[in-house]
Amino acid sequence: MRYKGNILEVKGLTLTVSNNGEPGAVILNGLSFAVRTGEIMGLIGNSGSGKTMTALAVSGLLSDFAKIESGQIIFEGEDLTAKTAKERRKLLGEKIGVIFQDPSSALDPLQTVGSNLAEILRVRNLDKEAGRRQVLDMLRIVGFEDPEQIASRYPHRLSGGQRQRVLIAGAALMKPSLLIADEPTSSLDTVTSMSIMQLLHEMCQEMGISILFISHNLNAVRNFCDRVMVMKDGTVIDSDTSWDIMGQPRSAFTADLLAKSRLDPDKLGLTAGKAADDAPCVLSVKDLSAGYSNGALLRKSSRTVIRDITFDIKEGDCLGLIGSSGCGKTTLIKTLLGLIRPSSGSIEKNGRIAAVFQDPATSLNPAHTVRWHLNEALKASGRNAGGDKDSLFIRTLNETGLAEEHLHRFPAQLSGGQRQKVAIAMCLIGEPSAIIADEPFSALDAASQASVIKLLSDINRERKTTMLIVSHNLRVIRAMCSRVIVMNDGVIVESGDTASVLSAPATETTRMLLDARMYGV
Amino acid sequence: MRRRPNPKIYLVTGIILLSVIAVSFIVGLFWTPYGINATDPAAKLTAPSLQHLFGTDNLGRDVFSRCLAASRYTILVSFAGVAFALVLGTAAGLFAGYFGGILDRIIMVLSNSIMCFPGILLALMAVAVFGPSLYNVIWALGLVFAPTYARVYRSGTIELSSRDYILQAKIMKVRPGRIMFIHIFPNLMSQILPAVITGLANMTLSESGMSYLGLGVQPPAASYGKMLADAQSYITAAPWLIIFPTLMLVFYILGLYFISEWVRTTYGGGRA
Repeated sequence: MRYKGNILEVKGLTLTVSNNGEPGAVILNGLSFAVRTGEIMGLIGNSGSGKTMTALAVSGLLSDFAKIESGQIIFEGEDLTAKTAKERRKLLGEKIGVIFQDPSSALDPLQTVGSNLAEILRVRNLDKEAGRRQVLDMLRIVGFEDPEQIASRYPHRLSGGQRQRVLIAGAALMKPSLLIADEPTSSLDTVTSMSIMQLLHEMCQEMGISILFISHNLNAVRNFCDRVMVMKDGTVIDSDTSWDIMGQPRSAFTADLLAKSRLDPDKLGLTAGKAADDAPCVLSVKDLSAGYSNGALLRKSSRTVIRDITFDIKEGDCLGLIGSSGCGKTTLIKTLLGLIRPSSGSIEKNGRIAAVFQDPATSLNPAHTVRWHLNEALKASGRNAGGDKDSLFIRTLNETGLAEEHLHRFPAQLSGGQRQKVAIAMCLIGEPSAIIADEPFSALDAASQASVIKLLSDINRERKTTMLIVSHNLRVIRAMCSRVIVMNDGVIVESGDTASVLSAPATETTRMLLDARMYGV
Repeated sequence: MRRRPNPKIYLVTGIILLSVIAVSFIVGLFWTPYGINATDPAAKLTAPSLQHLFGTDNLGRDVFSRCLAASRYTILVSFAGVAFALVLGTAAGLFAGYFGGILDRIIMVLSNSIMCFPGILLALMAVAVFGPSLYNVIWALGLVFAPTYARVYRSGTIELSSRDYILQAKIMKVRPGRIMFIHIFPNLMSQILPAVITGLANMTLSESGMSYLGLGVQPPAASYGKMLADAQSYITAAPWLIIFPTLMLVFYILGLYFISEWVRTTYGGGRA
């Protein structure tokens, strides 16, 4: 029996978070919105606008530091804020389902997928065989062709997309009336995230589940949600049907967010970095081959992943590297950085090469502060900071758009975009001649993406630091890079001037990459 | 999800149980009602009374005084043994996990071969060879317990080594020793803590077992294992000789398990 009317109504919700007993910062400020039964409601906004806190408040998973100051959360006609923790927990299992961003930490690694899911059904006291059948059925629904085999696997043997689908299966098994999906696709590649969004859409239609969909992928929200609301500083500033809000944004903030997500090079002030003709060569790669060896004690088997790679980058140049998943981009980068020993060929480096990696969740060491990270980078570079290290650190942080207050924070206290900026600051401290950036934007929200891209572009232009940028996002490549190389199956299939390669692709690989972009990446 | 009791219950129960042994440890350091080895021929095997709270043994020694005194060895051996095991295991695990390859194989073969012996047997062999003494018990038990920690650290190190921040450190050419102990080690604290606490409990059990067999703490010093061994001839005539030392051991070990359960449920499986 589905509830009629608004399944969820949030009225004037104000929420503060206290930090070590200090008075709380206001995270949600008089937030009000409603989700109708059976609709998909999109929730967009910058990092730190309170999207995830909203999800946690509704699901009742707030940590002890967060406190609801005033307001109501009305779910199926009952005020959740008046309920005890125990009642809310019960509700969370039965009526409200949650899917989180990071699929790797949400499954028990010591249990098979099947027993992970069976655990969910145990509250319903189903007998074992019926439970198992339900689990297998649900795995089939979320798109696994061989559910028995998947059910017998351990979570670490699944890819990120598969794990996320298992989590969706778990959420669907509970048959909730409301599903809260907090950036369920942001750590996944494009093709997988498309299929997961389709899956959620089907679930919404077939099982009548209402979905609160939090995302920073504006294209996804447009194609997939019935209505969208835009959050800023803990309140909803804009809310309408998704087509209207994307077509004619009513507030300047929404318009700005949309512009940033389109990564318009003119508006962001990006220029493609180009080397002077007589600039010296910073990185010169010749006939490089590399791969992984499986070290058995007596018999070693090796697998070559990249073959005969040859290219040069001059000082101040910005080179883009594109190719589909598994084409050897990461192996190439690791070889350039000295993490993998090449099996043949040569790499000539002129100066230090620094790197920024993809995943902001693991780019910084969670046990140490930002200052420690910068200090570690400074020590490693062997550079003499003069007397006052802290002023150098603060200067570098300022250059990346961070402030002095971030110096003594731990990574957990920073947003994804801020962490990537710290990672970039660590690179800058060592004054490298080149920075290799491996998908540094893909896990960030639209506004952070734009600012990180701008930052790298500025560094490239002002410091004459050479860049090698790996990205799926062809818009970024087009905006930032003057030259591009295309990889497929471990070899370079095409290279040249960005504009000419992308406008007149000579190979099937490049054409396919350009096609994938049409589906809203 | 199964219903689990509030973790705070574990903590409170654990603290209450451990406070018994902690109080007897502190009191036992400064004061005991009678001399630890003072015999009273007039009062052999007397039942618990106001004069002798826990009764007396076959030589007329006060069991209460001996229980107070024995706690210091229990605590000393368990803490020193675990510390030794931790230092050894941490280093071995970090090196094996970080460098991999042949070093990993050698360390793991060694640690597996220690693990496939019954721990107490190995410790007994070591003590039999080097002679029974407090220090031999500590390092022998430490050696036996080290592989457990080595395994935790090895798997944690392998997992963290692929994280971007460790790759970043390698790219910055940070020395391996620093990566292992400054970059990786602090991130594995939460994983090792429950293992350390259960290690304390298991160490106590092993120490008592060895003392029971006469290979641990040597007479005339009092230890729970030795007291139990002496008491078994009088098990029906003077059950208090068994009951009180056993209770002390149970309080300590159970208390540690409760605390470790609390740590595990509160912080365990925590975010990386």
